[in-house]
Amino acid sequence: MSELDVVVAGARERLVRRARREGLETVGYRVVDSPLGPLWVAVGPRGLLNIHYGAEPSPLELRRIVRAYGPGVLPDARRVDDVARELDQYWSGKRRDFDITVDLSPLTPFQQKVLAVTARVPYGQLITYAKVAHNAGNDRAYRAAAGAIGDNPIPIVVPCHRVVASDGTLGGYAGGLDAKRRLLQLERGAVPPGGWPPAHMSRT
Amino acid sequence: MTHPATFGELLEQHEREIFAYALRLVGDRDDADDVYQDTFLAAFRAWPPPRRGHERAWLYKIATNKAIDRGRRAKRFVRLGDLPLAAPERDGVSLADLATAVKALPTGQRAAFVLRKVQGLSYAEVSVALECSEDAARSRVAEAMKKVKEAMR
Repeated sequence: MSELDVVVAGARERLVRRARREGLETVGYRVVDSPLGPLWVAVGPRGLLNIHYGAEPSPLELRRIVRAYGPGVLPDARRVDDVARELDQYWSGKRRDFDITVDLSPLTPFQQKVLAVTARVPYGQLITYAKVAHNAGNDRAYRAAAGAIGDNPIPIVVPCHRVVASDGTLGGYAGGLDAKRRLLQLERGAVPPGGWPPAHMSRT
Repeated sequence: MTHPATFGELLEQHEREIFAYALRLVGDRDDADDVYQDTFLAAFRAWPPPRRGHERAWLYKIATNKAIDRGRRAKRFVRLGDLPLAAPERDGVSLADLATAVKALPTGQRAAFVLRKVQGLSYAEVSVALECSEDAARSRVAEAMKKVKEAMR
């Protein structure tokens, strides 16, 4: 880091504090390190809005955030502190449930319903896409439910990695199947080749 | 470079060069910090940028005006410790000599010189930043160059 970088970093901190005081900042973000690589994390006035695999935001997510909360999206480490702390505890195995509030309001009502069902799947448990669609009140909307899960803006905290295909194979994952495998491994041990047999699925 | 959709993107894309520009104009780290703060807060308040693709020139225009405002209120000086930060990086001449010569320029010429020769803006961008014609931007830079060269002989 050059001397100019250090000076600008200090100036930025003061700027963001002023923007927050003036109500110009609506959403704060920062990049958080994780065992699965960097995560771009954004927190808005109603809670956690986005965790994106990578150091840059997803353009789609950013558009959704701007539509809901305007352009006042600023780098703000402090606003992300609570999320970063809970994620650290999760990675080290010390946390099974997240206490942070999530904000799914920028999503459609159907997406919100599907992700609310997903959010209730306990640590280490599995559920099928079909069961999520059923619990969200629409058995036939299996594909739409799978789409909403694939489009989950808050992976890890809304644990879409616990949703697998009906035959026990892992299905898909926005962060890559390797990330899904590692999350499930953290929660329930090594993933058997070909996934878990259907008997392992949650029945509730 | 993508068009910024958020304050954060605008900030991350341009904060470094705007801070360096402010430092080159006002010569003091604390004043440059103030210009940086005033510039970005004004940009956030005035959002969205008036023309897509001209965000950079727009920021320079705000920063130039903020620096001139400050210059009117406070007597300008350069702290020796801030010279390496304030001085251009690309030139082979003595940084301190050059910084002194640039500092001696009238505000309009100094801004034009720094925008074109140090920050690397095109004449079209300089004209937007300084709210003048491209011809006026060219002549201000030329005039500034002449004075700087004379001062460094």
